[in-house]
Amino acid sequence: MDTLQSLVSEAHKTGDYQPVIDLIPYARVIGVKCERFGEEMIFRLPRNPENIGNPTIPAIHGGVIASFMELTAAFELTLQLEQPALAKIIDFSVDYMRAGLDRDTFAMCKIERQGRRVGNCSITAWQDRKSHPIASARGHFLLDTLSSFR
Amino acid sequence: MNAHILAKCQRFIESLAHMRKLKMRVIRADEKSITVVLPVQEQLINHAFDTYMHGGVLTTLVDTASSLSTIPALKEYELCPTLDLRIDHMSTPVLSQPLYAYAECYRVTRNVLFTRATVYQENPEKPVAYAISTFMRPGEGNTDPAFKAVIDGDNVEEVN
Repeated sequence: MDTLQSLVSEAHKTGDYQPVIDLIPYARVIGVKCERFGEEMIFRLPRNPENIGNPTIPAIHGGVIASFMELTAAFELTLQLEQPALAKIIDFSVDYMRAGLDRDTFAMCKIERQGRRVGNCSITAWQDRKSHPIASARGHFLLDTLSSFR
Repeated sequence: MNAHILAKCQRFIESLAHMRKLKMRVIRADEKSITVVLPVQEQLINHAFDTYMHGGVLTTLVDTASSLSTIPALKEYELCPTLDLRIDHMSTPVLSQPLYAYAECYRVTRNVLFTRATVYQENPEKPVAYAISTFMRPGEGNTDPAFKAVIDGDNVEEVN
């Protein structure tokens, strides 16, 4: 079994982040993808009929959108750390602006502050255009969890 | 325990593709609160890394439980979208135990519903997470009638 560290450095080299994402079972279940554009990482949640939580519109389950944003932040932190560790969630708060329709959803995370132990992130999720977000979120993550992944 | 509310909640959860995927079930329901379980399941476990692996799914569980708690709070079924949701994580859940979410809708106004939820495993006294949330009311008559009929159980054949 590869260590997280070697998985992350391999991902940075090849630009294929899927092996890191697949470490988290729920990210695999909902189908999270990741693409890097220069230094920017954009996470993608492809349209998936199994992610529907409101059959009348139909719209993606609110929990799936929040989880996708939470995972986006966790991965962003994990991939930015010098010593990669899976960031562990402390708190998370999401505001919903629009229904997430049954189509591809995108998310980006901005690390507002990264200390030695805690990372503070804000995340935006959108579908048709970034300036038209479906949800925004913020969260704190614990970063010194490396020991548990050795 | 209220069998009528429980049945209504069960129909809601069974009508959602993502809830079926996660095998979520309502195990208790009364006039004030509901409890949902997320069973231990292979698709949510990574055997190579034996640690924080519920990543994200707890959020879906909380959102579902909070949303379900609006059902007993309203006379008529209304499909209420989430406005916001905040979760504080107290400790790391273990993989070998199911996750339970207890949720109650403690305030109903004409336009907004306020809920709170607790997530626990073996011991309800030692929660792994707390959450508060608000939901928007579409208003009576603004929920898709076919879906409302399914949840209310007016059209039982459609559910099965």
